[in-house]
Amino acid sequence: MGIFTEKTSTLSRRKFFKLLGGIGMTGAAASISGCTTEAVGGKGWIPGQYQVPGNWPVKVKGRIPIDPQNPSIVRDDQKCILCGQCLDVCEKVQTVYGYYDLPIKKDITCVHCGQCALWCPTASIKERDDIQSVLRVLDDSNMHVIIQTAPATRVSLGEEFGLPPGSIVEGQQVAALKKLGFDSVFDTNFSADITILEEAAELLNRLEQSNILPQFTSCCPGWVKFCEYYYPDLLSHLSSVKSPQQILGALAKTYYSERVGIAPENIVSVAVMPCTAKKFECQRPEMNSAGRIIGNPRIRDVDFILTTRELASLMKLRKIDLNGLDNEAYDQLMGESSGAGVIFGATGGVMEAAVRSLYFLVSKQRPPEQLLELNAVRGLDGVKEAEVIIPGKGSLKVAVCHGLKNARMILEKVRAGNSPWSFIEFMGCAGGCIGGGGQPRTSLASADEVRRARMASLYNLDGRVYRKRASFENQKVQNLYKEYLGHPGSELAETLLHTHYIDRAKDLTIRKK
Amino acid sequence: MKNDFLPWRFTITKPRMMLLFLAAVSTAIIVFRLITGFGLVTNLNDNHPWGFWIAFDVLAGVALAGGGYSTALIVHILHQEQYISVARSALLTSLFGYILVMAGLFLDIGQWFNFWRPFVSWGHSSVLFEVFWCLSIYTTIQILEFGEIVTERVGVKFHAWMKKLMPILLIVGVIFPTLHQSSLGGLFLIAVYKLYPLWWSSFIPIFFLLSSFFVGPAMICVESIIAGRAFNHDISTSVLHGLAKISSCAMILYFVLKIYDLSERGILRLMFTGNIEGNIFLIEMIAGIILPVGIVFSKWGITKKGLLSYGLLVSGGVILNRLSIVFIGLSKPGQGSYLPTVWEVLTSLGLVAIGCLAYCFIVENFRIFADKDNKKIYLKNSA
Amino acid sequence: MTKGILVDIPKCIGCGSCTVACKLWNQVDFDDRYPSSGKEAVLSDKNWTIIVSCEVIDKESRPAWRFIKQQCLHCQQPACVSACFSKALQKNSDGAVVYYPHLCVGCRYCMVACPFDIPRYEWDKTFPLVTKCQMCSIRISQGEAPVCVMVCPTGAIEFDERDSLLKKAQAKMNKDSNYIRGIYGEKEVGGTGWLYISDIAFDQLGFKTNLGSDSLPIYSHNYLKYIPGIAVIWGMVLTVLYYYSKRKKELLTKNQELEDSSDNKQEKEVIREKSFETSKDKHN
Repeated sequence: MGIFTEKTSTLSRRKFFKLLGGIGMTGAAASISGCTTEAVGGKGWIPGQYQVPGNWPVKVKGRIPIDPQNPSIVRDDQKCILCGQCLDVCEKVQTVYGYYDLPIKKDITCVHCGQCALWCPTASIKERDDIQSVLRVLDDSNMHVIIQTAPATRVSLGEEFGLPPGSIVEGQQVAALKKLGFDSVFDTNFSADITILEEAAELLNRLEQSNILPQFTSCCPGWVKFCEYYYPDLLSHLSSVKSPQQILGALAKTYYSERVGIAPENIVSVAVMPCTAKKFECQRPEMNSAGRIIGNPRIRDVDFILTTRELASLMKLRKIDLNGLDNEAYDQLMGESSGAGVIFGATGGVMEAAVRSLYFLVSKQRPPEQLLELNAVRGLDGVKEAEVIIPGKGSLKVAVCHGLKNARMILEKVRAGNSPWSFIEFMGCAGGCIGGGGQPRTSLASADEVRRARMASLYNLDGRVYRKRASFENQKVQNLYKEYLGHPGSELAETLLHTHYIDRAKDLTIRKK
Repeated sequence: MKNDFLPWRFTITKPRMMLLFLAAVSTAIIVFRLITGFGLVTNLNDNHPWGFWIAFDVLAGVALAGGGYSTALIVHILHQEQYISVARSALLTSLFGYILVMAGLFLDIGQWFNFWRPFVSWGHSSVLFEVFWCLSIYTTIQILEFGEIVTERVGVKFHAWMKKLMPILLIVGVIFPTLHQSSLGGLFLIAVYKLYPLWWSSFIPIFFLLSSFFVGPAMICVESIIAGRAFNHDISTSVLHGLAKISSCAMILYFVLKIYDLSERGILRLMFTGNIEGNIFLIEMIAGIILPVGIVFSKWGITKKGLLSYGLLVSGGVILNRLSIVFIGLSKPGQGSYLPTVWEVLTSLGLVAIGCLAYCFIVENFRIFADKDNKKIYLKNSA
Repeated sequence: MTKGILVDIPKCIGCGSCTVACKLWNQVDFDDRYPSSGKEAVLSDKNWTIIVSCEVIDKESRPAWRFIKQQCLHCQQPACVSACFSKALQKNSDGAVVYYPHLCVGCRYCMVACPFDIPRYEWDKTFPLVTKCQMCSIRISQGEAPVCVMVCPTGAIEFDERDSLLKKAQAKMNKDSNYIRGIYGEKEVGGTGWLYISDIAFDQLGFKTNLGSDSLPIYSHNYLKYIPGIAVIWGMVLTVLYYYSKRKKELLTKNQELEDSSDNKQEKEVIREKSFETSKDKHN
């Protein structure tokens, strides 16, 4: 110690700098002449789970394959940390990855649910960005841009602007969209009501003719593709009714186009969805019914999808703060909505809505209170069952499931022929659309609290805010049928509101158990 | 224009101004290359790791500088002293050739500050290791050999000593070039699946050796005739013709061996497939071998024009051979072929220009040509 | 013992985990010009390994995708190691072919020598280096598998002793008739550390199938081994020639000392030539 202090006291500033300079020069000379003996590489980082000896079985590893052409999701390699979360959710929750044999064929099996994007901790996986395309059409004065908003986005968009989960921002969302320059803002709830009317009619038909039962709902495009991949033998169970998004899109370029007198070529149909699979759905080749009617098959029913996250970034791009906006109302023609429409966004919602309408269709009476609060199909249980008494039809057993692993359980029962149900609702994502792959990211990927809060708000809208509870009460929908479609199941309704499915079994080798 | 204050003279003429300009441009490019790397200056890429600098500066440069050892062999070892008049200028050309090769090589290596590594870290399984050592030793020996000329004017007291050393230097100075001339071809032995079969051969070291041997006299013809005009120094055509005849014999050997090799491997037909490789190969063989041999053994063989065209054709053929090996022969199918940038070419031309200028300087100041002619140069310059 | 890695091509789903792991672990940047996976994937100074997707026709004559992992194959007798004249490339006893940048001169002879065209060069750097897969030699020395193996979700890449991998591959081929016979890398240029088995012919997947089983360093060795001998013999021959021809010359000059030497004759010739030249000059 003493020696040390003695030494430092004699070290003049000049000497010190000379010393530093000398060390620096020596170092530079050494590094230039390459006086190091290390091999290159191995100086980086890899997640701890891989830092194990030789052939240690690492449980969660790697990542899902994503086709560069995937219409729904893209991945930025630069952000990927190989945590394995995407693979985990794809395999364990959605039962997509790992349920086919290798080698793959000319397709990377993907139902586009986007759960991987939601689970990805670094946002390496995200939706395929349509913001630029939407901005382009918004800036094009020749284009009439309409937009529809899904039931679930009105209870989640607020989270992107600092509001607590489940905040209802329906009116502000409409205001923001108008401010962004969309010419008309419609509600997907409106077409959800149409979906229900058509689907209930179809179910009734199946019940009466003892046709193929149970009937499966078909409004979730992720679930539909899952069924096409893994259970093509059960495709006949799928309701032929399109999803609300595609119904509104088809109507926008026919019904709406006629009413406002704008050529369908000049209408751009955009949808705000909590979902990445919707980007895939709107590109399905058969989703051009309006175009087929008017003889220009290149016209798509829905042109672009913005996820909830994309809408938020679009608003931020245009410096629109959701909190500073006053409520505005949807545009009239396709803006009215019933409570049945809005609960589409939660698991069990479609079932509840369908039961309400079925009751009316059969009995021509308003459903009783216990059917309006069908608690058996609400909540986050993986598989939910209920038995409802429909006058004249007797007891009707229904089931609801969400998350494709749960779907698999039910589908195996149906395939085995021992399903007791007549009608089954399937939702690809956990919690239904409110937990969709395009929803705002939460701090934890599987945050049930957030899901519950969003669901509670939807049921709140249904029970307390919207005056009408059942789809048949929707006045605008009634007008539509009266003035344009005729009746549920009419020829025009068949063309615009119904679709068909593709057997995708040839695209993969399903793994045998 | 000459400098009277120093004992050295250097005449500035218009062509020399041009050469100076080229040298300056080249120096600038070299500095730029050393600062920015290869990306901006060259067309080199991962599919073509070797380009113009290796092909022209090194492969062709070493071959063309082969005149030094082939004349040393003929004149000093075999004592065919009728050719002594060209020996010194051949040595000089060769020395500058090697210094330029070294410069080109230095320019082409990425970690140039590490150039000394192979002296310490012996990668002796590499043909390049042998080439590197031979090149280094031979350049040193050439400098020592040239020392004999230098000591005639500078450090005269060493001259006698240098003269005594000459036989050893001469013998060693033939061994090493023989080795590395062939080894430059040997470099490509390992590229057996990459070099186009018309060029790849297990005989490729012999091909390189032979071609460097026969291009020597060709270069001497070109150099003597051109320098003869420039410095008004006459060289006997019979001397040149004699050399050319020796060289032609080597060329005939080369040609026969080449045909034998190709037919042995059953790929003679590759010459006539009409693709770029085949066509270039045919040009090499016809314009670079058959035609000049024909000239030498015909009545034009004793004229200056004939000898000059023989010299140009043979050197051109050897340059073409080295360039096409690197540019076309090593190209991977479907990955495009390599063409140098103008900067790469300018750099190499500039290096050659520096060599020419240095040659002129030496010729004006040292006894390179036969005595009588030298005196004439002195007279001409002092006039 | 020599380690090896077995790639089971039909098991690769093209997720590209290996390419990302390689970049993370080796701290190599991404380069927008050169994707590390997909149809356009190319090895570059920043891509030590890539996954190339190619469309092929499968056993059922339907178009299908296969994904090929490319990286240094770590030859048993590496051409690059034998080509390096400063030992910047060395073969470890565990099988990895490792690059030591401080020894590199930057001559790129390794790139010319490599039969698989693997080494890449940092063309845009002032002091460029060669880059290639190091087989995670540091991890191997610690008993860990290379990162690309660790992160592969389907187990398409396996790390083990090379010999046992060869047995394993053989067993797989015997069990499943979908595999084509033959292990790529078992014999090629004397065998490689990376081995591939596939259900599609290798030439359809972009593999070089024309490589023989001779190790490439042999080609250089068979040449270089003669060099010292040749040097000595050639030196002796030259010495003998030197003194022999010198002696002969001396005898000749002694004999002809009084006669007109051939030199005079030559001089005459020179003069004749010169007069010819000058007359030509006059004409001009």
